[in-house]
Amino acid sequence: MLNQAISKLQAWFPAEEVHAHCDGPCGVYDPSSARIAAEAVVSMTKKLLDLEAKPGDPAYENTFSRYVAIKEEQAQIAKDELLILWTDYFKPQHLDQFPDLHDTFWKAAKLCSACKVEVSSQHANELMEAIHKIHNMFWATKSRDVSWYTAS
Amino acid sequence: MDNALHSGLQPPNHLRSSGCKDMILWLFKRRQRFRVVGDSMQPLLKPQEEVLINPHAYRKRMPEPGDLVVIWHPKRSDLKLIKWVVYVENSRCFVKGLNSMASTDSREFGLVSKGHLLGQVLCHFP
Repeated sequence: MLNQAISKLQAWFPAEEVHAHCDGPCGVYDPSSARIAAEAVVSMTKKLLDLEAKPGDPAYENTFSRYVAIKEEQAQIAKDELLILWTDYFKPQHLDQFPDLHDTFWKAAKLCSACKVEVSSQHANELMEAIHKIHNMFWATKSRDVSWYTAS
Repeated sequence: MDNALHSGLQPPNHLRSSGCKDMILWLFKRRQRFRVVGDSMQPLLKPQEEVLINPHAYRKRMPEPGDLVVIWHPKRSDLKLIKWVVYVENSRCFVKGLNSMASTDSREFGLVSKGHLLGQVLCHFP
């Protein structure tokens, strides 16, 4: 009787899931999330460089702050996404295929930090190039030919 | 056990069944139900089994080695994991799955801070 009642409760009110997984949710990885964030960094960097300085103008100060905040946030997202790929997706056997894998990710993560610290088109574009390289590495490990594209 | 590296600890091999008190506390929302997805806690917890956790267990204390815990994945804000605590060091936990070959845990994402702890697993449900 009690067991029946509990079974009905379980059916009516499904429990929240807790994962006892290998590699989180079934190994769903894609470098595109890092690419989208990096594109936002490129865009915000360009907008900041193009912004006409009007110190003391509240509208200018507001726009400037928003651009900086978005650039900071998106660079951190790009960094987080890259670190997840590096530490969770790529495995030691991939080093045989790409001996410069660690160096590529390390430099890409460093570029994310540089893009936060600076307003540098050069570093923002280098970050995109690094993610392009990681995109190629990632899909090569899956033996899939996925074309590189950008949203902007 | 804070600041203590615990070595040689055996992973938990038993989880009790829930009793009347657990059910009452769950009905009064003092316990939370979770359904296990995945194999990393086998053989103790099989996929689709349910557990009850005490979400208030670690408000005033840190877990102890051997505790079963539910945590937020440190790198995925949308993912909750179930693991066991191997040791506690400087208010952070090293957690592992019971089935090491099928587990993503502190070996990959490092020590887990207190802020990522969601509660202590107490028993099966029902």
